[in-house]
Amino acid sequence: MTLLVFGMVLALLLPILVVCRRTDVWHRLAAFASVSTKVAMVMLVVSVVRDDWMVGLVGVIVLSVGNGAVMLLANLLQGVEG
Amino acid sequence: MSRLIVIALRMLIWLLLSADPELLNVAIGLAVSLALPLPRRVRALSPGQFWRALGDSVTALPQAYSQAARLLLHRRLEESVVHDEPARVGGRASSVLVFLDVFRITLTPFTIALGLEGGGRRYRVHELVFEEKER
Amino acid sequence: MSGELLADAPGVLAALAQGASAVLLGLGLLFWFAGSWPLLGRASYLTKLHYLGISDTLGSALMLLGLLLRFQREWPLLVLALLSLVVWNTIFGYVLAACSQPRRRP
Repeated sequence: MTLLVFGMVLALLLPILVVCRRTDVWHRLAAFASVSTKVAMVMLVVSVVRDDWMVGLVGVIVLSVGNGAVMLLANLLQGVEG
Repeated sequence: MSRLIVIALRMLIWLLLSADPELLNVAIGLAVSLALPLPRRVRALSPGQFWRALGDSVTALPQAYSQAARLLLHRRLEESVVHDEPARVGGRASSVLVFLDVFRITLTPFTIALGLEGGGRRYRVHELVFEEKER
Repeated sequence: MSGELLADAPGVLAALAQGASAVLLGLGLLFWFAGSWPLLGRASYLTKLHYLGISDTLGSALMLLGLLLRFQREWPLLVLALLSLVVWNTIFGYVLAACSQPRRRP
């Protein structure tokens, strides 16, 4: 399981790298969305490994609310550009 | 029908989040999901349409996995096209049906829905297709 | 003989579930890497969204199934996570694609 968490963090580095490099705002937004989902998944895995209910609850909330926030941002961005 | 689906969804989320099947907890969840405001105007939705759309969305899941495996195995061969796909329910469809259709189209990795056009008669769909020039 | 076999069945089942869970988790991680890698390339925005759908929706769903197979105390949370992950991420891909569209249309 430790190996799994290491692998997940490594995969998490990929979109972070993209965010640091790209200048196009849409690519950046997609990468941020990916980061949001991946962080929530890491939290869920950690909660199962440690058998901790509260961490899992926070992970679920991050998963649903974080995606909703990025979605709102995309709508806002379209309004600004359009 | 739409209102019933909304209430059932709220109850499901409440029960899973609290994970406590006691009578008092269920009663609180039911009260909250009935007390939260419902959509004012809903378009008609027959149960047959709903179950068919839901079944299509569920069968799209294994399809999505097979398409994902194919896409990852031939990763250099794709090009992208945009085309229109006719919506199955013409005219002013219920929002639940539109949601399920968009979900079905976007879930499979080869296609993404881009929007609804022509007064709800067709979807714009972006699709990856393989180039077939070698062999 | 058969009684012993029956008594041993839960252990075998648990071992099988552990193995299947490990396979699902590994497959999900593979999907994550495979789907995130094209983000670094020069592909078009919509193509990247297709790959992101693979990695974030399908890969994460596989991981959650793998976690569910461990029969931990947290299963209601995991089911809720699975539901909200699949629905949110799919609709989210649609919103990102649709919102970027007017600017990119010739």
